[in-house]
Amino acid sequence: MFQEEFHLSDRDLLLWADGELASQRAAKTRRHLSACWTCRARLAEMEHAIADFVQIYGSELQADLPPIEGPRALLKARLAERTALTAAGSNIWFSRMRQVRAPAVLAAILLSIAVAMRISLHENYTVAQIGAIPNVHLTPGATNPIGIQDVCSANVAANDPAVPDPLRREVLKEYGLKDAPANAYEIDYLVTPQLGGAADIRNLWPQPSMHTVWNARVKDALENRLHFLVCSGQLDLATAQREISQDWVAAYKKYFRTNAPLQEHAMPKAIGMRRRDVPFPFGALRG
Amino acid sequence: MSDAPKDSTLDIRLLAAAAPRNPVKPRLEDEIAELFDQWRGALLRYLSTFGLPPHDGEEIVQEVFLSLCSHLRKDKARTNLRGWLFRVAHNLALKRRETDRKAAGIAADVDNLPHPALNPEEELASNRRQRQLSSIVRALPEQDRRCLYLRAEGLRYREIGEVLGMSLGSVAASLERSLARFQRADKR
Repeated sequence: MFQEEFHLSDRDLLLWADGELASQRAAKTRRHLSACWTCRARLAEMEHAIADFVQIYGSELQADLPPIEGPRALLKARLAERTALTAAGSNIWFSRMRQVRAPAVLAAILLSIAVAMRISLHENYTVAQIGAIPNVHLTPGATNPIGIQDVCSANVAANDPAVPDPLRREVLKEYGLKDAPANAYEIDYLVTPQLGGAADIRNLWPQPSMHTVWNARVKDALENRLHFLVCSGQLDLATAQREISQDWVAAYKKYFRTNAPLQEHAMPKAIGMRRRDVPFPFGALRG
Repeated sequence: MSDAPKDSTLDIRLLAAAAPRNPVKPRLEDEIAELFDQWRGALLRYLSTFGLPPHDGEEIVQEVFLSLCSHLRKDKARTNLRGWLFRVAHNLALKRRETDRKAAGIAADVDNLPHPALNPEEELASNRRQRQLSSIVRALPEQDRRCLYLRAEGLRYREIGEVLGMSLGSVAASLERSLARFQRADKR
């Protein structure tokens, strides 16, 4: 414990400072420190070094922790989802597999769960945004195997294809909303059919019809914008599909160069109204 | 570090309330949410030292608490949950960092990673002393840096050892080595 000059070792000073010495040894160290200015001065230097580190650690890493409300709400939602799944003893993927009607619709999952999981926790999200973002485990996005010619064809359809009732019920059930009021949620396409989105359960989610900041009207504006960019050759289709499925709110901010919905897009739309400025060409792929 | 817990040991009073003699057993989800409020900040800070983007850190924290839920549902030990939380976060961060690195085609070279919290603008804005200390931290081997970060978050040596897979003596030696470098810089 004591060096040749009868002083405490650096190790003992550190263990003392950190309260890591056993009681008997701590008592001896305390007695030594009370009598030895040299060791007290060295201890002060050590404490100074600790304070230096704490200062830079705190100042460099403390800055701008995102607000906790959104992540807390998301965690609660995930915990509730797990609880519900455990209680039901169900397996989401088995139920999903029954839904897949591959080869008829070659739906491509747009992103892996690992990448997709990032979107629901975008650092700037607020509680108001959570309802606007689908659960990426349940709705990663899926597309039809079509090209830009199809997307930008003159054959138009003004609205998204209606979601058949059985599929609508399945989506609500999957989200644990089986008993939700009929007008509380609108079943929306994550990747709009305008951009090749499939009428597949992996591309559908119950969007709250309440007046959220990032509501369906805002998403419609983004879809129109992306469609315009794709068809004017300024953006490739795959990128548009990926960005809207990964994080449509982030995509909106990017393509409208704003952090909040523009005023003309901010008004919540009425349920069932989905008017599009840009025609939709996929009548054949409906429902 | 304002939201860091003041106590040196994890406050698991809420968890203790789940003891059988308490007729009103709190819901596990609520307990997890309480712990999330208590530890999210500290975990995010620690995860940021891995150089992960903030949203990756948030996602890892979510995974940590979802794992905690599974852990507690299995009636596993509730002692030293703080160490458990940091250990799971640490392992997930290593995995995520490795995945990101492979995706980016970057060879693993932990020691030469830039300090995640510093960028050139911040460095210019910092005073000379702070820059000097920051450069010392960056020059430390990753294991030594991790010991410092975890200790700064209030973990005891035993907990740090559990998170990093080190013995108590190695933890002490690592901290001693790092602080000695700071002290040498002070004397220059």
